[in-house]
Order: sequence, then C-alpha cells, then structure tokens
Amino acid sequence: MNSFLIGLSTLTATILLFFLTKKIYKKYPSPFTLPILTSTWVIVVGLLIFDIPYETYMIGGQWLDHLLGPVVVALAYPLYRQWPLLKMYMVPILSGVIVGSFIGISTGFIAAKWLGFSDTIIYSITSKSVTTPVSMDIANTIGGTTPLAAVFVMFAGIGGAVFGPSILKLSRVNLTIAKGVSMGTASHAIGTARSMENSELEAAVSTVSLTISAVIVAMITPTFVHVMMG
Amino acid sequence: MKVLHIILQIAILYGFYSVGVWIQESLNLFIPGSIIGMILLFCLLVTKVIKPVWIETGAHTLMKDMPLLFLPVTIGIVNHLDLFVGKGLFLIAIVLISTAMVMICSGHITQVLLKRNDIHE
Repeated sequence: MNSFLIGLSTLTATILLFFLTKKIYKKYPSPFTLPILTSTWVIVVGLLIFDIPYETYMIGGQWLDHLLGPVVVALAYPLYRQWPLLKMYMVPILSGVIVGSFIGISTGFIAAKWLGFSDTIIYSITSKSVTTPVSMDIANTIGGTTPLAAVFVMFAGIGGAVFGPSILKLSRVNLTIAKGVSMGTASHAIGTARSMENSELEAAVSTVSLTISAVIVAMITPTFVHVMMG
Repeated sequence: MKVLHIILQIAILYGFYSVGVWIQESLNLFIPGSIIGMILLFCLLVTKVIKPVWIETGAHTLMKDMPLLFLPVTIGIVNHLDLFVGKGLFLIAIVLISTAMVMICSGHITQVLLKRNDIHE
C-alpha cells in the first residue's frame, strides 16, 4: 500500500471514530466519555494490538495538524464577540486569569522539578493549562515534546471538568463570572464545555479566559523557564 | 456552495496564521505564530477592518470539533506509555493538584475584585 492510501485510511478511521464517540458522548454525557479521551483510548489500543507504529498512523494524522494554527487564530472571533462583556469586567477577569496562569505554570514546573523528572517532561508539563495547540507550540519552543504536552492538557481539562464544580463550591467561589474565569483558566476548552452546562454567561467568561490565558501563558512561560533554569 | 464558503474562510484564518508565523520568525519572537495571528485578527475585528461575517462560519466549523484536530498529536502518547507507570503516576497528580490550585486562586481573585466593585450579579 502506498503512503497516500495509508494516510487516507488512518485519517478516515480517525474522523469516523471521532464522530462515533461524539454520538456516544451525546447519549451518555460525562467527563469520562469525552470524545478526545475515548477516541485516544481506542486508537492507542488499536495501534498496540495491530503493532502499527505511531509514525505510520501519522502519515494521515499529520494532515489534521495543519489546522491547529488556524483554530488558534479562530479564537479571536469569540473573544471579539465577548468584548463588551470583557470590557465591563476587565480588571476582575484579567487579574484572575493572570494570577491563575502564573500559578499553573509555576506549580507544574516546580513540582515536576522537585520530584526529579527529566527536563523534557518538566518542559512539557509547564503549559498544561492552555488549549492543546498553544501548549504544543510552547512545549516546542522551550524543549518539551508535543504528545506529552497534549496529554497533560487533556488531564488538566478532564480533571477540571470532573472536580471543578465541587472544588469551586467547597472553596466558596459562587459568582458566575468568577466560576467562568476558574474553568477557562484552569481547564481550557474542556472546562468551558462543562461551564456550558451551568450557564451561558459562565461559558462566555470561560471562553474569554481560556483565550486570554493562552496569550499570557505563551508570553510568560519561555521567560519563566529561562529564569528558573538559570 | 456552503463547503466552498467554509473552505475560503478557513483559508483566511490560515492566512492570518501564516502572517503570524512570518512575524514570529522574522522578529525572532518566542510567542507562537498562532497567537500572533489571533491577536492580529482580533485587532482587525475590533477596528472593523475585517467584517465578522468573513470568518465566522469558518471559525465556527474549526472550533466545533476542535478535539478532532488534537487527536493525532494526543495519540503520540503511544510512544511514551512507559511514563505512566510507577513514578510517572505522580505526573498525573501534579497536573490535577496544580489545576485545582489554578481554579481556586483565579476564582477567588476575580470574586474578591467583583465584590469590591459591588458586583454581586
């Protein structure tokens, strides 16, 4: 089989599987049936069972990678739509996102370093609270690996979607705007999807927060890592 | 026709991405080109140089199934499975604890500032 056909079949299988898992999620919505999680499981197990190298899978998979840049650019649109909301609560939202972003970067970095993990892992875990394509770009810039970065982002998202509402309740964060900032800054798109179940306002604030945190984390992570590693 | 419309709009977004990457490379910035492209598009939307209708369908299409686009790179974990046994489990704990800390701190700061401005919704 030539590489074009291999690429076409892995790509088609990926897309079909994704939409199948999306249907399952719609029927049984839970953070553990999120399409990104279930699809990853199925494909990873499939590759292992049939002994297919990741490189072969990526012949088709890499075609989807070309859309990762444009999807980050597309985030400008919801940010623009929510601009009036953001202007009204500029200081509270920005302050929450900036402090949250810094805590996300520093705690991940320091904990991984303290436990003696390799530099590659430390660099991959640092940007875990931002949306996958941005986290990958940051990991690339500072010396991490993109698949690890993507998996850490997935854990941050799913963790936030599962425990987020209880954590916010226990720590007495009860204003809708504050909850949106929390979900978006800590758990990016997956957290935003969870916010959508609560209220439209929370989801809108969450979207704004995930976008701003992506910009902030992209700006401060390289400098932070540079300073910490001397 | 709708498909063509979407493809054209995604091409515009791709154009912004390419300009962002070009700016990053020529100025030797460490901020990803995608973020530069996003800031650029946002500024042009706010200043009304770009009309929202020129990109909204394309943006929506890309964002609706965003996780599909992350799938191939996430599957790259297949080459790092040894990381998640034994000591590697600490990594998951780090991610979860750090995420909880981000949530609590960002939420509280926003809430305190909202209340100081007398906003209780």
